This record gives sequence, structure tokens and C-alpha cells, in this order.
Amino acid sequence: MILFLLLPSFGLNKAWRVALLLALLAVSFIPLDGLTLAAYLRSHIDDLAVTTLVFMAWGCLRRMDFLPPARGQTGVLTVFAVMALALYPATLGMSDLDPYRFGFSPRPMLVFVALLTLGLFYLRNYLAVVMLAGATLAFVVGIKPSHNYWDYLVDPLLGLYCCLALLVLAMGWIYGRLGTLRRSA
Amino acid sequence: MRIKLPSLPAVGAYLALSCLFAGAWFSHPAPVHSSFALMKPVMAVADQVAKPIYTSRFASSGLVDFVHSSAVTALPDGSLMAVWFAGTREGAADVQVRSARFDAKSGEWGAEQVLATRDSTQQGTRKYIRKLGNPVVALAPDNRLWLFYVSVSMGGWAGSAVNVMVSDDYGRQWSEPRQLITSPFLNISTLVRSAPVFHADGSIGLPVYHEFLGKFAEYLYLSADGNVIDKYRISHGNNSLQPTVVPLDGQRGVALLRYAGNTHHRVLASRTEDAGQTWSEPYPLDPSNPNSSLAAVATPEHGLLVALNDLQEGRFKLSLYGTDAEMDDWRSLRDLDKSPDPLGAPFSPEAYKEIIGQEFRGSSGALRQPLEAQFLSNLDTRVCKNQGCEFEYEYPYFIRSPDGMYHLVYSWNNTFIKHVTFNDAWLAERVH
Repeated sequence: MILFLLLPSFGLNKAWRVALLLALLAVSFIPLDGLTLAAYLRSHIDDLAVTTLVFMAWGCLRRMDFLPPARGQTGVLTVFAVMALALYPATLGMSDLDPYRFGFSPRPMLVFVALLTLGLFYLRNYLAVVMLAGATLAFVVGIKPSHNYWDYLVDPLLGLYCCLALLVLAMGWIYGRLGTLRRSA
Repeated sequence: MRIKLPSLPAVGAYLALSCLFAGAWFSHPAPVHSSFALMKPVMAVADQVAKPIYTSRFASSGLVDFVHSSAVTALPDGSLMAVWFAGTREGAADVQVRSARFDAKSGEWGAEQVLATRDSTQQGTRKYIRKLGNPVVALAPDNRLWLFYVSVSMGGWAGSAVNVMVSDDYGRQWSEPRQLITSPFLNISTLVRSAPVFHADGSIGLPVYHEFLGKFAEYLYLSADGNVIDKYRISHGNNSLQPTVVPLDGQRGVALLRYAGNTHHRVLASRTEDAGQTWSEPYPLDPSNPNSSLAAVATPEHGLLVALNDLQEGRFKLSLYGTDAEMDDWRSLRDLDKSPDPLGAPFSPEAYKEIIGQEFRGSSGALRQPLEAQFLSNLDTRVCKNQGCEFEYEYPYFIRSPDGMYHLVYSWNNTFIKHVTFNDAWLAERVH
């Protein structure tokens, strides 16, 4: 799915895009020295968060024109970029506080994420709602080996993507503003 | 003003979301933290005046590989099990986690067994594994034998994850390895080196350390079935590694830390008063520490025995110290092994061979004595570099077995794992 989302569309129609996704999925199961290609990738990026899987599934369906554009994409990017920035530097030792610990006793986090999800639902940001609700459902069921809520909510890949996407959007906005100012001057 | 009411499907969605989060809230209470398991009373030998005992022998028997980072645990039948890693060099792809058993009757270590390899770890974890490192082994109060060891999928040791295997039959058969989830960032940057600590309810405290963006120590809290359910910072910043945790009673404990900074080069200590949930700011102790691993164990007199390289630089001398529970008063009990040169200067290969031959005979134990000639003919890059050949005695690991004996294993010039045993009577002689 990652490769499918990274590759350009090549001007393919819907049927060919579906075929390309299926082909890439099949390739990921090819074994090499006892491990599949997907396992090699997993060795380096670890198990993805459930939010990332939902986000990638949404991205694939968008790419194949099965879904309309999501509303409030900037909101989605902001939510997960903030999560990543709050979590990773601190938990890797750049702060005395370890926010990863909150995920082991997750009740306060659950209240916060519940309010966030309900708020996003009110704002009709359904993609973010499905991502957060899906992650929480997976946490209840325990589909990952981790007992930490954070591991269901965000991963470095999603965090990096959201930060970069926000940076690109911000740059675009700044260039747009500069262009407007130049025209009006 | 008109208030727009949500539609029926929206109300349903609000309800469903609320139920989902309520379910998650009820099903995930905070884990209960148990006190440290108290040490079992030593099995007394009735009406017997114990004689001082101090013996040593090699636990490993291979003559070719680089061996390092050993650990040992006592088994209920009086035997011991030691683990270490061995390969062509540290970090090589052929490094294996090996073990041997000590037969209490013969007083010797048996043949080496392979417990984990790159391939076996790869198969168990379904991840590509580049190299293996530091193993630790410990027998839980429920008689399950736990093996934790480090593996790396990418990069150097900073990219480490901790793997776990468990045995229900004292190490005859082991579960497949699986990785502990210890970090949200690609599950990297967690290493293990020191002895696990058991809690009263069977949960496991695993002292670990990070060396990616920072160098700091943590206390992982694992459920009795080996899942990470909490973690606590022992230290912060960029100057401490490899905590060795010693419970003093149900709630109090100390962590001694390897100093990895550039300021005072001394052993660091941190204390807990709540069974490992919070730790005091680490502070330097009297003994020096040349950025090397150390190990400690509690004594019946509520003091500590500590094995360490009390040096500013190098690892050419490994010493045994005794200290009180406050760690104010340090007493040197014995130099376990040391280079004949007081500054640890390298020797020429010829001089080195002669010295290490004598050391071999003094350390190997009867069973390994016949290996001397072959060992001396095999001395290579493990001990000799361009500037000469050096002595290195490092990475001690300390336990006290239920029969009251102290067992210490450490790397002997990275050519053998050496096992030293002594008892309280020997200690009493050294102290008084």
C-alpha cells in the first residue's frame, strides 16, 4: 500500500489502478531468504499504527476513485503531527517526562481522544473520526502485541508524513500570500 | 434563534463512539504495581560452621570466538545456567546466544549450547535481524526461566530491540523468541544488560537503557507472562547506561549505573522507595567508572557487594567491593582479575602469552586445564592489536543463589566467560 501511494498514477484508469494495487500486494508476499518483502519493510518501520492503516486504506481508495475527497484534511494532519511531536522527542530522552507511559494507563488519554473524536465528528471530519475510532476499537480488541494505546494511535511514518504535508501546505500558503501581496502592491 | 438538532444517524454515531470509548476506559484500568519479591531465606546447613569458599573456573569452552556479556541464574536442583554471546567479533552476523550448565556435584561447567541465533530470532519475530547482543537469564519465582537478549535490525546498537524467550522446563525447551514492545519509535533504542528483578505478584522488573538520542536508564515493568505493562525512568539525559537494580526490601531499592558522560567518571546511583515506580536523581558514588558495566547484589547484612572496574580508563582490573546500604563506606574486598601492569599498558605478544598462560591455569578450573596449549596458540585479535596485547576483565553479572553462595560471571579477556563463587564465610574473612 505504501508503494502504491508513493507511485505516481501513470494516467491509469480505475481498473488498472486496482490491478496495480493487487499486484503490489502480491509482490509484498514474495519470500526472500525466508522472509517476505513486507516482513523486510516491517523490520525497519515496525508494526504500523491502526490509524496509519486506515489512512493508507483511505488513500488507496481515493487513488482508485472509490471515495470522494475527505473533508478537513488539514485537521487530520494537524492531529497526528501534534501527537507525533508530543510523543517521539520526549520519549527518546529529550524531556524528563515520558509521555509514552500515559499509554500504559490510558484512561486520561481515552477521555481526551474521546472528546477529540466527538469534536471531529461534529466538524464532520469523518476520516479522522474513523482513524481514531478504529485505533481505539483495535486497542480494545488487542490486535497488536503492544499494551500501549499510543502504539495504536500514531507511528513515526504517519507522524513524519503529517509533519511534511503540513510543512508543504504552510509553504504553499505563504507563497500564495506573498503572491497576493505582490499583486496588490 | 433556532437550535439545529442532530439527525437520528448522527445521534446513533455519537452514542456508538461514546460506547466505544467507555468500553476502552472500563477495560483498561491502570496496571497494579507490586512490591519487590523478598529474597528467600538462605537454606541453612544445620549446625555447620561454614568454611570459607572462593573458587573460579571458566563457564565457556570455545577457543575461537569472541565471548562477552554473560549472565547467570541458579536453578532449583542446585545447578546454574549461564548465558553469553559468542561470535567472530562483537556485532558480527554470526554471533549466537550460548549457554552452559554448572553441575553442582562435579563443580564444573558442561558443554556449550546454542540458545538463539540470527536465524532463529528472525523466524520467531518475522523480522530481518542483523545482529544479536547482550543476553540475560533469570529464574522467576514460578520456576519459569526467562531469557532476554538484544537484537538489531538496522543501524548500530542504538537500533536495538529486546527479545524474550521463556522455558517451562528449566531450559530444556524454549519458546520462540518474540520482541518486547518498549518504544513507540520503531521499537528501537532499548537494550538489556542487567539482572531482572521479580515482584511479589510474579511481575518482572527489567532494567534497560537507551542509547539513541539520549543515554539513560529505565525500569521496564512486565506482567508475569512477559508483556510490557509500564515503564519508569531511572535517569535522564545523556550520561548513564546499564542499570543494575538491587531491591533492599519490598519497597526500597537502588540502581547502580554505568557512567557514560564526560565529567566525573564515577559510578552513579539512584534510589527508589516505591518498588521502582519513581527514582531519585542519580548521584556519583566514590568508585570510579570508566564507562563500563557493573553488577551488584544485596548481602544479608543489608549491604551491597559490587563488582566493577574501579578505574578512570580501561577495563584491565575487575574488583569486588563491599558497601553499606547508604553506599557511603566502600571497602575493597578483592581484585578479581587484573593486568600485571598497574596502568594496564599493553604487552608484547610473547610476554602476554606467558602471563595469560599463568592466568589461564589460575582461572580455568580442572576441566578446562587441558585446553591451555590450544588456547595459547589461538590468541588473536580478540586480545592483541597493533599496539600490543591487553588484559580486559569486564561486564560482571552477580547473583546470590538460594543456598547462600555468591556467583559472579564476567568476560575474561573476551576469550572465556569466567565464573567466580564465594560464600559468606569467605566474605566475613575479607571484611574483618
